[in-house]
Amino acid sequence: MTAYILRRLLWAVPTLFGIAVVVFLLLHMAPGSPGAGGADSLRRASAKAAEEMRRQYGLDRPLPEQFAAWIGRVARLDLGESFVDHRPVSERILEALPHTLALNGLALFFALALAIPLGVVAGGSPESVFDRASGAVLFAMYSMPTFWAALLLQTLFAVRLRWLPLYGTAADAAPAGLAGLQDRLAHLALPVTCLTYGTLAFVARLVRSGVAEARTADYVIAARARGASRGQALWRHALRNALLPVITLFGLLLPALLSGSVIIERIFAWPGLGRLYLDSILARDYPVILALSLLSAVVTLGATLLSDIAVAAVDPRVRDGAAG
Amino acid sequence: MKRAFWAAGLALCFLGAACRAKREPVGAVRTPSPTVRPAPPALGFIDESSQGTAVDGGVLHRRLFGEPTTLNAVLQSSAPEAQVLQYVQRNLFDFDARLELVPGLAEGLEVSPDGLSYTITLRADAVWEDGWPVTSADAVFTIRKIVDPKIPANVFKPVFEEFASVEALDGRRFQVRFSRPYAFRSMAFVLPLLPEHRFAGENFLKSKQNRAPLANGPYRLVSWKTQESVELERNEKYPGRRGHFDRIVFRIVPDNTTAYRLLLAGELDEDQLDSGLKDRAARDPAFAVCCRLLEFYNLDYNYVVLNNRSPLFSDPRARRAVTMLLDRASIVRGLYKGSARIISGPWAPDSPAYQARVPPLPFDPAAAALLLDEAGWKDTDGDGVRDRDGRPFAFDLLVSAGSEVGRQIDEMLAAELARVGVTARIRTLEWAAFVEKIDAGDFEAASLAWSAVDPNPDPYFYWHSSQCSPSGLNNGCYANPEADRLMEAARLEKDPARRKEILGRFHRLVRDDAPAVFVVNAAQKVAFRRRVRGLTTSPLGLYGIWPGPLAWWAEPETMKAP
Repeated sequence: MTAYILRRLLWAVPTLFGIAVVVFLLLHMAPGSPGAGGADSLRRASAKAAEEMRRQYGLDRPLPEQFAAWIGRVARLDLGESFVDHRPVSERILEALPHTLALNGLALFFALALAIPLGVVAGGSPESVFDRASGAVLFAMYSMPTFWAALLLQTLFAVRLRWLPLYGTAADAAPAGLAGLQDRLAHLALPVTCLTYGTLAFVARLVRSGVAEARTADYVIAARARGASRGQALWRHALRNALLPVITLFGLLLPALLSGSVIIERIFAWPGLGRLYLDSILARDYPVILALSLLSAVVTLGATLLSDIAVAAVDPRVRDGAAG
Repeated sequence: MKRAFWAAGLALCFLGAACRAKREPVGAVRTPSPTVRPAPPALGFIDESSQGTAVDGGVLHRRLFGEPTTLNAVLQSSAPEAQVLQYVQRNLFDFDARLELVPGLAEGLEVSPDGLSYTITLRADAVWEDGWPVTSADAVFTIRKIVDPKIPANVFKPVFEEFASVEALDGRRFQVRFSRPYAFRSMAFVLPLLPEHRFAGENFLKSKQNRAPLANGPYRLVSWKTQESVELERNEKYPGRRGHFDRIVFRIVPDNTTAYRLLLAGELDEDQLDSGLKDRAARDPAFAVCCRLLEFYNLDYNYVVLNNRSPLFSDPRARRAVTMLLDRASIVRGLYKGSARIISGPWAPDSPAYQARVPPLPFDPAAAALLLDEAGWKDTDGDGVRDRDGRPFAFDLLVSAGSEVGRQIDEMLAAELARVGVTARIRTLEWAAFVEKIDAGDFEAASLAWSAVDPNPDPYFYWHSSQCSPSGLNNGCYANPEADRLMEAARLEKDPARRKEILGRFHRLVRDDAPAVFVVNAAQKVAFRRRVRGLTTSPLGLYGIWPGPLAWWAEPETMKAP
């Protein structure tokens, strides 16, 4: 097992390097250059000023040289400074990170917490009224675009009923203590809902099919024969098997924790990483784009590794095959 | 009020000119769409400064479309930054709603007889919020930063291009010298100052000051939450006119629909609407109850720049034909529902340089077809597309993504061009990619919007042949020796009347040379909660003037509890 993990970790290094090369090349080959300013620029930079900026940031150097300089800094954990506001990239990321983590962490938690019981109940009695009804609702949810759902939810809960705030992370004068927490949770409710339902629908159907398949498997029937109740057989034995694909999927869902959601963050004016990413791309703020891409790559590799280890730990076939 | 009539009259005479043109004989091609004269738009100059009695107190909630990248006044580059800084730091001089310079931090400006040196006297009571006086040392520091090639002070660099020196004469007076006289130089002193004592020993670009500006204006910064909000409160040390609101909260709301809802919910007092939301607001009873829509003209306009270096557009007859193929009167009616004005040159009608006696070229497809024939563009191979020397008259018409109006104008133009055998393929490019092509002069034709931050009408930077792309901002590389001569003369002419006369001759020349299709000056649409009063519009819009937003106030009964 340890050898397996070590080998995977070693492989991650060239993979990360490859990703860094590709992202770096794509970025520099894409049309547009830093310093052009946004569409709301007050005045366009003169060619002289733009040239001076390129020189200052070393953008006039050959690409391999620029790449070497950048990767050298990254290796020393220095992500550089933003072209746009000259602040350290790490500072800008750390500013947005908590907002995105809160949003996507809660969304992932609720998606799994609701999807698993839904899937088990539906899969426990396939073709039942509950299974069919929940199936129809989940498919509808899965196909509903988030921006549309966001607008509907805003209209209903924020404009009509006025139960929940329309946007943002907290009220202007956020109260302290428990009331402050309540205020923040109220602000989280709508965007978290928007980010939850799609994943929820997907995972619930996955669990449902796993449980539905497992309930007729020999080991579940054997468990029933040994006197386990129907519920015990489903929740203890069928679910455990049905969770294997969910663990793999979890590895793919986890990076979303950091990548942020551009659309939802925009609609709810949420100051997270998705907005930072989009703004940086529009401004061609190379250091920020590179840092966020690299961060995303690290998390993706890490999450895949974690889920593979988890699967190996749960499934002896994988574990033994991998070790041997 | 005089201005209002002038503006409205101009709009009418323009539409009239366009309509008249259509009555001219039209050849075998097709008759233009039937003309319905639109009702004159009920908009123009708004001045509520004398209505009601202003009350102090309350909070004003304004919208920012995006995050300010800095609050260093010298480094400011985008509209959100200017909107916040206007409250916090005064300029030496400001434009008022009539585009006249009024004193801010400065109280006097003297120009030497040779027009090369400017002596400025600061107000004795100008003070930073930390108690330090605003001094000539601050001014010298600020101007040296602006002219430093390593500092991207793009907003201020152009007017300091011929800068020679700056020196403090005493604590309150300083002198700036330039190497050449320039008729529009006084605009250089619509200039904010930075506190030298706060930047001592700091890296200018990375200084903490850039996110915590020191106030010398009517408000001071309380907090700036990244991507969320910027909050200001009254600066009690400011010696000048007090702002009416206790606090100003800028909410950073990138999404237009969300912002519209915040306006209706009373969480925003002000919001610039796009055309879709304007239509929605017009039908929305809730909007009529809470809010009102202000429509007014500023100095912005849109145009389609043609690359004069391209063999397609090197002949002025071919360029003029393109202008005569765009039915601008129907754009005003259809796209803008009447709230736009056709322009005949590189200024909006309210610009001090615009000459109403230069009418726009008419929409006349038959005459345009003849012009193309004369320029040698004929369909010799019978494929339906005009050609010359084996090259078909076909080109890419670039538009930036998100410019909905620009794309619609391009589509109308392309449709008319197709009817006379010219192919225009509309290509949408993401903004940064679009700008890169425009700046490099690597395009045939492109839809652009002109946005004016000051009333400087000097066409030199944008239309003089010495300023051709890629090194200058004359993107389409318009080059006409006569036009060059007129632009140079206007820059040196001190007498405003003669300057206007020179620019008038340039205006007529540009209309006939048609280096670009000058389309329209469209009305701005800004929605306000009804409680906000004391609004004044100007050719620079609602914000870029003094006192501008500082004169706004809110009715007491709807004032929010603190």
